[in-house]
Amino acid sequence: MGTISRRTFLGSAGSLGAATVLADGLGRVVHADRPVTFSGWVFKPDTVKDYVTFYNQKFGGQVKYEPLPWVQYHPTMETRALAGEVVDVMYCVHNNRQRWYENGLIRPMDDLPGVDELKKKMTPANLDSLKSKDGTKLLGLPYFTSLFTLIYNEPMLQQAGIKAPAKSWDELVEHCMKLKKDKISDTPYLPNWSHGPSETMPQFMSDCFSEGAQVFDAKNHLIVDQEPGAARAMERWQKMYKAALVNPEVLTKTSSTDVHRLFWTGRYAYHTNHSYYLKTIAGEPQNSKLAPKKARMAMYPGTGATYMWTDSYVVNARTKTLDDAWKFARFLGGNLNGDWYVQRQWCLIAGLDNPYPEMYDHPEVVQSYDRWVDLGLLREQTRKGKVISAYKEPWYAEYDTKALAIVHDIIRGGATVPKGLKQLASLQKSLA
Amino acid sequence: MTLGIRLSEGRFALLLVLPALLGIFAVVLFPLLYSLWLSFTDVNVLRTSGPVIELFGVRVPLFRWVGLQNYVTIFHDPLYWSSLWRTLYFVGAFVLEATLVGLGMALVLNERFAGRPLMRSLLLIPWSLSRVVVGLLWIGILDFEFGAFNGLLYNLHVVDGSIAFFKDGFSALNVLVSVYAWNQAPFAALLFLAGMQSISADLYSAAEVDGAGYWQRFRHLTLPALRPILFLVLVLATVNGFLMLDLIYVLTMGGPGHDTTTVSWLGFQTAFTFFKFGQGTAILYTLTALCALLTLVYHRLIVARPEPAA
Repeated sequence: MGTISRRTFLGSAGSLGAATVLADGLGRVVHADRPVTFSGWVFKPDTVKDYVTFYNQKFGGQVKYEPLPWVQYHPTMETRALAGEVVDVMYCVHNNRQRWYENGLIRPMDDLPGVDELKKKMTPANLDSLKSKDGTKLLGLPYFTSLFTLIYNEPMLQQAGIKAPAKSWDELVEHCMKLKKDKISDTPYLPNWSHGPSETMPQFMSDCFSEGAQVFDAKNHLIVDQEPGAARAMERWQKMYKAALVNPEVLTKTSSTDVHRLFWTGRYAYHTNHSYYLKTIAGEPQNSKLAPKKARMAMYPGTGATYMWTDSYVVNARTKTLDDAWKFARFLGGNLNGDWYVQRQWCLIAGLDNPYPEMYDHPEVVQSYDRWVDLGLLREQTRKGKVISAYKEPWYAEYDTKALAIVHDIIRGGATVPKGLKQLASLQKSLA
Repeated sequence: MTLGIRLSEGRFALLLVLPALLGIFAVVLFPLLYSLWLSFTDVNVLRTSGPVIELFGVRVPLFRWVGLQNYVTIFHDPLYWSSLWRTLYFVGAFVLEATLVGLGMALVLNERFAGRPLMRSLLLIPWSLSRVVVGLLWIGILDFEFGAFNGLLYNLHVVDGSIAFFKDGFSALNVLVSVYAWNQAPFAALLFLAGMQSISADLYSAAEVDGAGYWQRFRHLTLPALRPILFLVLVLATVNGFLMLDLIYVLTMGGPGHDTTTVSWLGFQTAFTFFKFGQGTAILYTLTALCALLTLVYHRLIVARPEPAA
């Protein structure tokens, strides 16, 4: 075996050291290009995959998308964060955003390039909705916005000789009474009184707003027990339930989606639900007996104000690829290189309402909406959408779930309206 | 070739079962102990306040110890108590229904008749279905708007409008009991049938010779022989009844109001909707304690009771 000289040894060691440093440097380049991970709850996952493919091809991205079931989406993301996993870009429902921000899971976006332009383009209500509780930070970019709308079955009203949809709640009750009496519909009214976080309670808030009532004060205290409009709304619900104008099983339907599908049958006259459901009700003849455009939207009765919310795309606070993650988030929730591709596609494919008004100037969007809704009326309704900030409070999820049971009791006559509204206020107070 | 290591029989046996024991520790005992620990802590999975241990490279946060606070909080919540009484009703009705129907099916399938093998195979179908599928299937049958059963009654002119099976809480709760019994009774039937098959036919022949009728043979021969099986069926049905969650999720979501909210549903909601994992696990541990208690009661009543003198 030959010996190596001191010079050879030092030379080799030096080369090895240099190679190591270079290899590390190369590794860093690879790190900078590492994939952006992206998760969302399941809603049209194939469409989302198409967006991701489009982005990866057009913008040279390396986005890896993983859809998760809606029910366990937020707990799953939290437990993954607990295990140290970093998902760079995520969906986040409106009433979870503040929690994620306060606990350091997501970062504010105000310092990111181009965000000021997006803020200016958004409607103020949606922008408020996306901000932190103190109103100083933007926590997400919009996935979609929605609000409660009133939908009516035009052929059924015509059959009953009713010339125009109800403009007031009293008129709506009167129409329903007539339709039941004339045996045109067993249960003419289909409210979204089902079980779940985006159902009975948003419907409750919508009806309170439409009666001119406030639900929460500026400090997010529940004040419905002091609002005559809230009592009027609840008395009407009780009356309609007692008169069997409502399908009683709506109370155990497990989602808004299940409820809106009932309206497809054409056996109901009026329906109140999220605005985007009108697309399948009035625009999909393969599913709904009320398409095309036999179901129509009317302005929400009373003041016309209804509950509006904005769900979002958020960026992980611990992302190692902030530039790439932000670029992708902007592709999803805003415009990238001036193109609102994803925002526009959601309008076209699913009829999801959009917080950027200029979306509705696009000819393709106008033409698409025209197939199932009066876009002008929808825009007018959207302007009357009211956002709250109470959902940014840590107690909101528990309040929302437990309040639902109290409201169901009021509907079914298990509690008087004043007593039920007082119970709601006490519940909120006990959790706050 | 030998390794030259001499092991006693006991140690050799322990060595053989060690991999299985480690597996059981990893997938059963550790989660059980960890969740018990969580029930005494203030858990916020996004902000791990408290010590952290590392197990085989896995970071396990221990969270902030709050002692019995979670248990005190849930015991002061009226919703917990109303859910508990509802759960006891649900479990009682379900155990009774599943056991009686299972026993009835087993008695029928123990007799000789044409098509018995086919019937025994068909018996298992409801049990083999995923409970989400079972829930959706029964929505299709019982739904107010498009349910097949309502359609049948209407076409037979039995009713002139649809029956709302989920209209009020008590009715919805009983529908849940029956649907779950439909799903679980076949398994009870299978266990009872296996028990019946192991009873010697000579005993029945002897009883017949002695003039015992069907009811007497059942009362004095079949039932005593099925006692260990009955214990097993009751324990399994009770545990399954207490823990049932998926059917509630698919059929009622705990509503209308809280009328079908059981303790397991409340625990699930507390942990995964309100993100109060400490309280959620505390709620579910009260169920574990109840299950253990009832198992002891069953054991005392059924297995430990001395055989009656012949």
